Order: sequence, then structure tokens, then C-alpha cells
Amino acid sequence: MSDNNQDKAALGKVGMMRQIQPEYYVMRLKVVAGDLTSRQLARISSVAEQYGRGFVHLSTRQGVEIHYVHQDNLERARLALAEEGIEMGACGPRVRAIVACPGDETCRWGVIDTKAMARELDARYFKVETPSKFKLAVTGCSHNCTKANENDIGIRGAIEPKWAHDACTDCGLCVSFCPVKAIGRLESDDSDGFRYEADEDACINCSICTSLCPTNAWGIGRKGYTVYIGGTMGKVPRFASVLKRIVESEEEVYDLVERSFNYYRANALKKERFGHMIDRIGLDNIKEEILEVTVQHNRQP
Amino acid sequence: MKSQFNITGSLDLRGVSCPVNAARAKQSIAAIGDDELIEVIVDEGQALVNVVRSINDAGYRIFKSQPLENSVAIIVGKRKTVG
Repeated sequence: MSDNNQDKAALGKVGMMRQIQPEYYVMRLKVVAGDLTSRQLARISSVAEQYGRGFVHLSTRQGVEIHYVHQDNLERARLALAEEGIEMGACGPRVRAIVACPGDETCRWGVIDTKAMARELDARYFKVETPSKFKLAVTGCSHNCTKANENDIGIRGAIEPKWAHDACTDCGLCVSFCPVKAIGRLESDDSDGFRYEADEDACINCSICTSLCPTNAWGIGRKGYTVYIGGTMGKVPRFASVLKRIVESEEEVYDLVERSFNYYRANALKKERFGHMIDRIGLDNIKEEILEVTVQHNRQP
Repeated sequence: MKSQFNITGSLDLRGVSCPVNAARAKQSIAAIGDDELIEVIVDEGQALVNVVRSINDAGYRIFKSQPLENSVAIIVGKRKTVG
């Protein structure tokens, strides 16, 4: 790249942002699901040492940025990073790097493979142009560590608990540890005279009861993904709306994401975030359209 | 707490923060005999979650619980069965 002919706007598209200091740039690196290998970290370190000022900045979306790279060194630094498989991140009106928590691979609460899903979403959508910036996050459970509902599309692992009478010793602990008091002990007509029930509407589909029950009387009835649309923080914050709760098939999740994404790209005004578009058009209208199309899709043989 | 349990000790962990509460619970349970039970009182919320998790992970068994005001009393034994 000729230093004199650099298209500064084009640099933004490839993750290099002008600093307020003339001729200096921020190199935003792509990190999917917050994972970097130790070799990649070492390479980032050496590039920051050689072409930056010996430090990195960690973004709020699990990203790494190298600051103070002179414009004459951008291409050399990029190539050095690319050698270790480190790509540039995204800026501007396009899909940003996908954020995810560690998920069920290592976390006791995680109920889905967040990293695999983040990588799949990355392959499908990273850097695709959108009316405004577009953020996706995958979080393994209701603890919501990667904040699914602050993203344009968020996916959250979810379970529906199921109580097994045979295993229950009536210790009553679940009534106390359920974080939303959704579990109740009810009198019943059978021999033991009791049963426990989780109120479907109150339940937040976390895995606390199924993880903590001393006798595993609470097990997983249904497991899946709750899909959120239209979350954003920033200047005009808006928590995401639930598109669909506990979607059991992974393929349906990708289908819902695709429908939502296409709907946004087709209907949003320039620079309008997904959530603000939802408020303008109406959540019910949008849900009806996205879900209806999905239902039709699912009916196909 | 129900009388059929032979509770030989009590540990009040109200106001004790994580992870000290879980550590003290496990220490006290480790010190009792196989046929004994101990009552542990713990703050509700995250403290309860952490303490219960630690007790389960250590292989001990919670047999009964009783909600108190802003806390929960749990009856714990070393073994999976009582008596």
C-alpha cells in the first residue's frame, strides 16, 4: 500500500481508525468469542512493541486494540499479525466481532456451546455491511455474562426445568435458591402429598435449580436458545426484546438470526440501530413477520 | 427443624462473605461423624448458591432446608443417607 495514497476512509473498513494524533492509527483486531492463542498474544505483544507504544487497549467487546501505530507502519504491522492468523476487526456500519462467554465447555452454568455458535455467526456475518453498526453476542445461560440483551442480536442458552418426584427428598432447598422465586411446593393427592412446580412465566430459564438440587430431582426438561433482537447501549440505550424463547434446534436459531438480519437490512433507515427500528415499526409487527416466515420454513419437508 | 434428624452442631454463616462461608461450611462438615448432621445458616441469594454448590461438590448431602428471614437453615450430613 502506498503511504501517500492511503484512503483513510477505507482504512476504517479494515479496522484501522484514525487517532486524534495526526498520522497515528488504532489497529482494532478481530477476536471471536474472546479467544486468542498464547502464540497470538505473543505476536500482538511484539507488534505493539515494535509498531505501537508497547501497550494494548482491551475493548468492552473482548477486542484488542494496538494504539499509536504510525500510518507508514500499518501494513507491516497487519502482515505481522496475519502471520499468526490475527485478522483486523470491524468499525463503522457493519457486523462487529462476535462476543461470547466460555459456555458449556468450561462453565458449570453454561448450557450451550457458545464458542462454536460464535464462530459460526462470525463465518456468516462478520463485516457484512449494515445500516448502522451491528453487534451479536452469545451467552451460555441466564447469568448473561456477555449481555445478550445489549446486542442487536443476542442468543442465550436456556433450559426449562423438569421435576422428578422419584428423586425428590422434599428438602425444600429449590424454593429458597431459585433467584426469581419461581419454584413452589404444592400439596398434592398422591402418596407423598407434595409436588414442586416451576412457574413457566416467572422462570428465567437459568440452570440454578438443575445444577444445585442435591438429588438431581430437578433436571433439564427442554434445552435451547432464547433469541433476543434489538438491544443496544450507547447514546440511546434499549434492552433487547425476546424474539423467541427456548428454541430447541440450532438450525432454527440460525434461521431466526438470518431472518432478523435480513429484515433489519431491508427496513432500517440509514444509521438506525435495529432496536430503534423495532420501536419505529412495532415489535409485534416485526415478530409476526420473522416468526411467520420461520414457521413456514419449518413446515417444508 | 424436623425432629427426626439428629443434629449435633450448628454453624451460623450469616454475614460471612463468599468464599469464606463455603470454606467454613465444608470445614465444619468435615469435622462431624458419619452419622451426624449439622445445621448451617446462610444468607439467601448468592451466598446460598455458593455454599450449596460447594457442599454438593464436596460430596456431602443436604437433607432439609428451612427458610428463615433473609436466610436459610440447611441440614447437612457427610453421607448421602441418614442413619
